[in-house]
Amino acid sequence: MADAPHRENKVIDEISSKFKVEGKFQRERRIWVATDKESLIALCEFAKGLGFEHLSAISVTDWPGEGTFELTYHLWSYSERILLTIKTKIDRVNPVIDSVVPVWNGSAQIHEREMHELFGVEFEGNQDLAPLFLEDWGGPPPFRKDFDWRDYVREREYDKANERERVYWD
Amino acid sequence: MVKQETKMKRLINAIWIFNWFNSCGFCELVPLVGSRWDMERFGMIITGTPRHADVLFIAGYQTLKSIRRAQIIYEQMPDPKAVIALGACTMSGGMYWDSYNTVKRLTDYIPVNIYIPGCPPRPEAVFEACMKIFHHVGAVPPHGRKFAKSHSG
Repeated sequence: MADAPHRENKVIDEISSKFKVEGKFQRERRIWVATDKESLIALCEFAKGLGFEHLSAISVTDWPGEGTFELTYHLWSYSERILLTIKTKIDRVNPVIDSVVPVWNGSAQIHEREMHELFGVEFEGNQDLAPLFLEDWGGPPPFRKDFDWRDYVREREYDKANERERVYWD
Repeated sequence: MVKQETKMKRLINAIWIFNWFNSCGFCELVPLVGSRWDMERFGMIITGTPRHADVLFIAGYQTLKSIRRAQIIYEQMPDPKAVIALGACTMSGGMYWDSYNTVKRLTDYIPVNIYIPGCPPRPEAVFEACMKIFHHVGAVPPHGRKFAKSHSG
């Protein structure tokens, strides 16, 4: 597109004029915006007002080295045809963040429920964070990088003294 | 005295099957449905509900969530009934042996009569297993078996 950076930069400028964010033109029709967790909800509401009415996904990246979870919100605008990615970092030990359910309703709810199950992130304001895929799960949130699932499974499922099952330790 | 096996053969002229297939499980049975092996010429029919089924085909890796549904399906099937496990993942977790969410020992959850190994099992092996079902129904207690690890819901 001839005006490739133009439309994207316009969105970045509009967001930066209201919020203290790091906006980045990633490539055509792709924008990254990094913010802090305090201004997340206000930023999300503002983005929705700009036309980013579709929340495609919420994902969590685990950074055990720096002790943070990075939450990524992928937003799509049907009018602008731009994918806006909002990133924010929260503490890994006490992973609490405001829920975006008031902004995007049902489409946010299921993603937050999944991220709560797999990473243990608490979404304050989400009414239903019940287990989604894991029934009767007693272990730690399994997608955290410090969870060694292979050791966990070996301990619980296999008998080292059993000649047939010893291969699972080799 | 008519042997149990013979009685079963008279009772079940054609094996009706209920499929419980996870992940790539159905790929394992697809050749049998197709025209080359065509299981329907032996009277093997896939039923729409477990209440009509004689045999439960269970394939693909079983998760801790899905195995409960399999147990409920097994309970709904009328006696006598048999369970056939198809493929490596079903039997032992297969390539998902180290997953925190798969079933590693299927017999802990469902009384399995016949295991068919392979990834996927050969159609001939499935036919052979179905022939052998009649030898196994005699070993199935009339009112099913208790599950070692039961579902709570």
